[in-house]
Amino acid sequence: MQRALNKSRQTKSPKRQHQLKRLHRLVAKHEPIVQRGASITTSFAEIDAYFDAHVTGGVPCGGLHEVAAESAADMPAVLGFAHRLAARFMAQGADDDVLLYGQTHAACRDGGQPYAPALTAHGVSPHSLVYLDGVTVPDLLWAGEQALTCPSVACSLLTSSEAAPDFTHSRRLSLAARTAERPILLALGKTAASAATTRWRLAALPHNGWQVTLEKLRLSHDTPPPLDGWALYPSTPQNAETRHVMPLMRRAV
Amino acid sequence: MTSAPLPPKPQEPFASPVLTGRRIVALWFPHWAAETCRAPYQANRPFALIDMHKNAQRLISLNAAAGEAGLYPSMTLPDARALVPDVQTAMADPQDAVARLQKCAYWLQRYTPWIGEDTMQHTADGLRDYGLLLDISGCAHLFGGERALLADIAARFATYLDGRGMTARMAIAGSIGAAWGLARFAATDLTIVPEGQDAEAVLPLPPAALRLTPPHIDLCQRLGLDTVAALARFPRADLTRRFGPEPVLRLEQALGQAGESLNPYLPPPQFLVRQNLAQGVTQIEALTALIDTLCVRLAAQLKAEGQGAQRLDVALTRSDNLVLALALPLAHPSADAAHMLRLFEERLSRLAGGLDAGFGIESVQLVAAKTTAITAPQDTIGLSGRLRKTAPIAALGGLYDRLVSRLGAQVVVRPVAHASYIPERAVRFVSVLQAQNRASDEAANPLVDAAARPLFMLCAPEAIEVIAEIPEGAPYRFRWRRVLHEVTTAYGPERIAPEWWGGLVGDNDVGTTRHNSRTRDYYRIEDTQGHRFWLYRDGLYDRETDNPRWFMHGVFP
Repeated sequence: MQRALNKSRQTKSPKRQHQLKRLHRLVAKHEPIVQRGASITTSFAEIDAYFDAHVTGGVPCGGLHEVAAESAADMPAVLGFAHRLAARFMAQGADDDVLLYGQTHAACRDGGQPYAPALTAHGVSPHSLVYLDGVTVPDLLWAGEQALTCPSVACSLLTSSEAAPDFTHSRRLSLAARTAERPILLALGKTAASAATTRWRLAALPHNGWQVTLEKLRLSHDTPPPLDGWALYPSTPQNAETRHVMPLMRRAV
Repeated sequence: MTSAPLPPKPQEPFASPVLTGRRIVALWFPHWAAETCRAPYQANRPFALIDMHKNAQRLISLNAAAGEAGLYPSMTLPDARALVPDVQTAMADPQDAVARLQKCAYWLQRYTPWIGEDTMQHTADGLRDYGLLLDISGCAHLFGGERALLADIAARFATYLDGRGMTARMAIAGSIGAAWGLARFAATDLTIVPEGQDAEAVLPLPPAALRLTPPHIDLCQRLGLDTVAALARFPRADLTRRFGPEPVLRLEQALGQAGESLNPYLPPPQFLVRQNLAQGVTQIEALTALIDTLCVRLAAQLKAEGQGAQRLDVALTRSDNLVLALALPLAHPSADAAHMLRLFEERLSRLAGGLDAGFGIESVQLVAAKTTAITAPQDTIGLSGRLRKTAPIAALGGLYDRLVSRLGAQVVVRPVAHASYIPERAVRFVSVLQAQNRASDEAANPLVDAAARPLFMLCAPEAIEVIAEIPEGAPYRFRWRRVLHEVTTAYGPERIAPEWWGGLVGDNDVGTTRHNSRTRDYYRIEDTQGHRFWLYRDGLYDRETDNPRWFMHGVFP
């Protein structure tokens, strides 16, 4: 018996390997991936339910998270979702921790600057904001890497509407974030091949909604669970407040 | 009353052993504040500094031309304008004038290390008197004698401030009191009293030369005492009874019969390290290694004094004598050599066009230009390096320094609330280096009023083409950045009227006043794709304008 087992191990036929892989995948499908290190829940019930089913814990804190836009016009939705995630990451840290928010020149020009009073509604304290008002893409990535070296920066959120970092840069950031066990959020107008831990794709939906798709979830070397997409309607002051709302009568033209 | 010129009381008139050989230079700058003022003005035409005093704008300091034109200090500005219609004026800044005087004192240390500030006299008119006292005992021969020394000072003052020149009256005497009086009241601009003849020089001066207070000068005038000699003729006991102790002390000090000490300016500790090289260095690596050693030396100096650097200046002198100067501001005072080096590395790597070392850099000088006291952090006992966490504030400060040194101070910012209802003015971004610490910031400026404001506000409102159903209604369709949006839902309007007090108080934002002049009606808009916008109509239809324009101002997520 022992000899047969040894022999079968030595042979490593392609067929057998294929079978093994299939079994691994089957097991992975039914068992949640075990992840070490801190993680957060997203506060969206649908996404949290998905993570509960497939991964122990939620979205990992240590790692590079990309939030990408379906089209250029969806950048505001991307940033809204990224701020929600950032707020959850901030909740993990101390009270006086800082959110480093960097934007490239193009992102500033196209999307404007964050408006501090509105941040509270998205869960971020305006006083924790340190904002980089228009930098180049290499400087943006450099700033994100610097932020990882400082324990008081709970999360950094980097916005680039025009270009995504290439694979080398993204891998460098991803490794640094995993080592530091702190998150970096990249809000992107375009995507490229990347070494991100998660990638979310956002599109705006009518009636204050977001179409959120989890495009990538890579936790160490484990097989990714089947990915999913959701239509979310986050609770925002716009949705909650109804007193002054006066819907316009839209006539057929 | 006898007619003896000298006081009868003192036993040893001018031979106090302590004071022998002491030589004092008194400098008096009659037009100091006006002449050293940074405001640009024509030096040969009347110029005056003005300040509010006794409910009127008054002239505080004049230049020589203004004095000749008949203006005088403490005159009100309307009177001065009546006399000289084209008088040039600028607001006075007394603190700045005092700081400049101190700077001048440090500069005068080329003549003697012992320099004291003249006791400031504030008169009832809010005027100030600017002067300096130099103890040049044993220094004059280095400059070729006392007359040559004064001539040298005078020549340098004549070209002070890029040739604008500065009026100074000087006197050398054996005592502070005599030099002070002679600088102000002697017949000539430049007076030198031979050793031991102070009394003779002072006696013909008016009593005001004795540094008396205005009431005492007044009293002297009423009693008909028009010279120091007249005052000195009285027995001291009688003078004390009539005037109090101070004038007698001043008289004795001026005559050299009472001692007086000169409180020198203490030079601030200088944190300066410098390395001269035998041969010019061109490689940036070698330069970095050199700056590293300098940083270590500077940090050791700073630590020894318990100080942290707030600004570092590095000066690289090339072999052709060109000096490349870099300044680095620090968010938190630091005496950490590794941190300083990292900042310089960033800065050197970011120099526009790279570092042009020419034929090599011959000397490197590193100065902590601004320092503050820091308390040494207490080391945690019994924790290994990995577990020991840097103090959060210091760690953040280090991060800010690195970001600022690479990206620039105006790029790394924090939001600060501003009392305004105009949305784009409610928040301002200030540099992290200027922002106060967070706790006080939060208490002072609660940044929490967000009744449905967009998460992102455009840097400037962008004009859009709008078709509305009715002129004062919500938009029906609009074109922004060449894309046509069909509106499905519009919430609003939220009306924001211009602040009537705008332009009255603290309104120095010229750029925003254009949009501030009309009432805005803000709408939250959703288009067919589900994108959400915040836009406004600038001006009320028919009441403020016939053809109101529309602007896109922000986007909702």
